[in-house]
Amino acid sequence: MARMKFLCDAERCIECNGCVTACKNENEVPWGINRRRVVSINDGSPGERSLSVACMHCSDAPCSAVCPVDCFYTTDDGVVLHDKDICIGCGYCFYACPFGAPQFPEGGAYGSRGKMDKCTFCAGGPLPDNSAEEFREYGSNRLAQGKLPLCAEMCATKALLAGDGNVVSDIFRQRSVGRASPGIAWAWGVAYGKPGIRSGRDMSGKASSEE
Amino acid sequence: MNKNAKKRTVMRRVLVLILSLVIILPLIPYAVALVDGPGAVPNPGAQLWNEVRQRDGASAGVSQVQAVDGSVFINPYGERWRQFRMQQLVPIGGWLLVGVTAFIALFRLIRGKVPLEGGRSGKLVPRFSVNQRVVHWFAGTIFVIEAVTGLVLLYGRFVLIPLLGPEGFSATAAASKEIHNLFGPIFPLAVVLMILLFLRGNSPNMVDVKWFAKAGGLLKGMPASSGYYNGGQKSWFWMVVVFGIAISGSGLVLNFPVFGQGREIMEWAHVVHGVVAILFITASLGHIYIGTIGMEGAIEAMTQGYVDANWAKEHHDLWFAEMEKAGMVGVAPNALEEVKRHDDIDFKGFGSPGAKQKEG
Repeated sequence: MARMKFLCDAERCIECNGCVTACKNENEVPWGINRRRVVSINDGSPGERSLSVACMHCSDAPCSAVCPVDCFYTTDDGVVLHDKDICIGCGYCFYACPFGAPQFPEGGAYGSRGKMDKCTFCAGGPLPDNSAEEFREYGSNRLAQGKLPLCAEMCATKALLAGDGNVVSDIFRQRSVGRASPGIAWAWGVAYGKPGIRSGRDMSGKASSEE
Repeated sequence: MNKNAKKRTVMRRVLVLILSLVIILPLIPYAVALVDGPGAVPNPGAQLWNEVRQRDGASAGVSQVQAVDGSVFINPYGERWRQFRMQQLVPIGGWLLVGVTAFIALFRLIRGKVPLEGGRSGKLVPRFSVNQRVVHWFAGTIFVIEAVTGLVLLYGRFVLIPLLGPEGFSATAAASKEIHNLFGPIFPLAVVLMILLFLRGNSPNMVDVKWFAKAGGLLKGMPASSGYYNGGQKSWFWMVVVFGIAISGSGLVLNFPVFGQGREIMEWAHVVHGVVAILFITASLGHIYIGTIGMEGAIEAMTQGYVDANWAKEHHDLWFAEMEKAGMVGVAPNALEEVKRHDDIDFKGFGSPGAKQKEG
């Protein structure tokens, strides 16, 4: 049985947030809820890198371990889902999750949490496949239609990969080998390490419009 | 011929040169890399993954998605919190609660109900004012509600799901969460009122040390001297103060997730809340037992406001002596009437014998 995985290639992600938008549209998640987000480091500087983060569908899911009502389950595809009819919106999964995947709409008094919402790997929930109720509560069930998550399918640079973990890792391994590993050969440290190539040309203060 | 041989030699040398270059040239970057060392210029890709795992401290990412901790790649403390909750809080707390309950049951079996040795005298001594009793039951009611709903959320998965099924327990847990979160914010008020009304007379002194040395007089034939409050009651009061403040503060942090507090703060708040709650509930078991079914003549102090003179003599001898001197003992035979009248007329004197105790 395939074990479904997400993988985001930081050398390809261009922080376009297309995955975030695709997810919101496909699953019609409510305002203020984002099942996926793109985080960047060194934003606007050389060496900027971005990653798209959502539920990573852990094998040993912390959310599931700490849930007081035991509402999580893992499908045969290795997708971690939860039952919103059981969830009480306590927020413990949010504390335990390393990825910040669980999201909470405001539910009641004092701005307390409503039932948790998170990435389903476009695999819906425990309700009948592709039923109206399933769509309303969990969003699209693309896996039941033989399709992969829309975030990855829509990724323009194919940075975000989703699917059978073995295939995904093969694709990524091939890419990595083609790029060579850091620190040797044609990797970053060699290509950009020599001052002669990348040194400044003392252009500060110069601009064509000033002539 | 000579020319041809010379040509061949040159060609051979060129061939050797080309071959050597073919072998050596691709090695140059490796040699350069070797000389530069791998860390000469950090690879941004590697830096990214250090950030992701927060190896160099908190991540300083940015995200277009505006959410609490939205710019954090990975929260490594979530796993630590999970380990605390599942490996420590749940099992150790559970054994503590079961253990103390078993200990109380054992005490009951061995000692039985602590009796009034002298029987009822029919004379009453005023002990708690109506204000003190109202505040006590106000705090006590909220405490029990919070304790029960909190324990449902902490242990229901292991104890109640097998009994009620997932759906049944979900309804129970959802109600528990709502009740817990609705009544919780009132508890700080109860704690403050408790401190204001019960602070007098609760400063520890040497009498308490002796009281503890004699196991609180709980053992048969080993009475321990005490004033208005004994060492156990004083300990319980100060637990209410410390635990009450800690549990209120941490509870408020958890109850209002709308002020942008991050996961790390809430994880710590939950650790404090969980540990203090277990200690608080464990201690309350002893207080509730000895105050109700564990000791003859004790509960009247908090229901009627009066205790029997013999109860006062047996459990709070120093206080009883003071009350006797002040002429507060043995007011009337028909207790309830008198209790009401005394409450109406003056409850100033009640519950404030701490002033007298200060001399001792």
